[in-house]
Amino acid sequence: MKKIINTIIETIIFICGILSIVFVVLIFGFLFKEGFAFFKDYNVIKFIMGQFWYPDSNPALFGILPIVIGSILVTFGACLIVVPIGIMDALYISEIAPKGIRDVLKSSVELMAAIPSVVIGFVGMVTLVPFVKNLFDIPTGLTAFSGSITLAFMAMPTIVTISEDAIRSVPWQYKEGALALGATKWQTIRRIVLKTARPGIIAAVMLGIGRVVGETMAVMMITGNSAHIPNSIFEPVRTMTATIAAEMGETVRGDMHYKALFAIGLVLFVITFIVNFIADLFLGKNKNK
Amino acid sequence: MVDKIKVENLNCYYNKQCVLESLNINIAQNEILSIIGPANSGKTTFLRALNRMNDLDANYSRKGKIYLDDDNIFYMNMENLRRRIGMLFAMPIPLPMSIYENIVYAPKRLGLISNKSEQDVIVEQALKDVSLWDEVKGRLNSSAMKISGGQQQRLCIARILAINPEVILFDEPCSGLDPISTAKVEESIIELKRKYTIVLVTNNVKQASRVSDKTAFFLMGKLIEIDKTGKLFVSPQEKQTEDYITGRFG
Repeated sequence: MKKIINTIIETIIFICGILSIVFVVLIFGFLFKEGFAFFKDYNVIKFIMGQFWYPDSNPALFGILPIVIGSILVTFGACLIVVPIGIMDALYISEIAPKGIRDVLKSSVELMAAIPSVVIGFVGMVTLVPFVKNLFDIPTGLTAFSGSITLAFMAMPTIVTISEDAIRSVPWQYKEGALALGATKWQTIRRIVLKTARPGIIAAVMLGIGRVVGETMAVMMITGNSAHIPNSIFEPVRTMTATIAAEMGETVRGDMHYKALFAIGLVLFVITFIVNFIADLFLGKNKNK
Repeated sequence: MVDKIKVENLNCYYNKQCVLESLNINIAQNEILSIIGPANSGKTTFLRALNRMNDLDANYSRKGKIYLDDDNIFYMNMENLRRRIGMLFAMPIPLPMSIYENIVYAPKRLGLISNKSEQDVIVEQALKDVSLWDEVKGRLNSSAMKISGGQQQRLCIARILAINPEVILFDEPCSGLDPISTAKVEESIIELKRKYTIVLVTNNVKQASRVSDKTAFFLMGKLIEIDKTGKLFVSPQEKQTEDYITGRFG
């Protein structure tokens, strides 16, 4: 009897354990099925390198280059803003701030992660967009630049909390050892702390990028959603995620447009998969040491 | 002999609680002073007061004066002080880099060396001083994490020697080492006496008697007795000292 109960419980735990893998495989499989169905009817090269996204014209053009560039531009801009700020924030919290300030900072960063993206998008739309419009004197504030700022804000908690963990897990003996050799605090931080925590910090940045690439709601509200190849960051762009979210409702299940959106999803999935894979690589490296 | 370090009426507190009380000690140049005593007697606090490592802790406060030569260390620049007073910790802690980089790390930061050939000279000399050169000369560029504990500890000594300090503090340097590695580290310590002034905190009473010129016995934050090692171990003046070194408590 005991043996049977044992087997049942083990089986239940096993099923729960592999559920996440099952889900990933299923999602991946579904994406592949719908995405590849699209490539049967539409040339892959034309899809990826095509400069025009006109799903409603005749014949329909499904070139995702503008929205890929849109995604990359917004992501890249967000990284430029958030990576230095995030890492320095993490350094300040873990190494420099006195205990009182540290606790306040830590909980406010964690609180930031809890703000729904639609709220951030909304606040950005009302405050940031007019501000950017007036500041640079451009026809619209709904630009890649505004999107980058908003996304930077959203990636911040990920980057700060994970790099802070990495920095804090640097053994205090290393710091003490360096200080006892007459190194200044800054030399110790730069040469010992940052160096030792580097794999963790890179992983943090990668996960932050993953968050930025996949973000939909806020960018949809802020970047202007114009699917053309932009000349500068002060022009409206459209990202891959926003395209899927905005157009999925207009499609007929099973038609070309519908499948094209799945193909975009596939591209997006591959990108985030690569980013996460790199992050894992660095996180694993950190643990082995 | 000239006094290298003079401690005058030093009181140390953690969270307002006194852990070291009215301490007066003079340490002569080129002398090995060992500090013995049971746990919580303030040995390590004293050692870490000497190079102001304690000052990094926000809960720590102190009163009193410590002179290095004739300068009050509490008015000195912290980095400069730690360059003159090196410290070796209980656990061997190589910095996470190669053997070579471990040694040149501090001299480079302090601007003591400029070119590669000077670096090579310093690395070789420092490693020879701790008799580690023959053991590691073929793999200077491999990670310092990969050599044995005893070798790591001697590497840490070599790292201190590379910045040419005047005083070296040892905080239970052999507590994690096997007897043979311990013997090698002790040999290095005695060898270093010719050039440096040494303060050694140890839990191993026999080690104190083997290595040091003078021994101080601490108990509950107070200095109970300090005397020539030969004398303290043969005829201690205080009952508590005798009890401790004969192993009756602690």
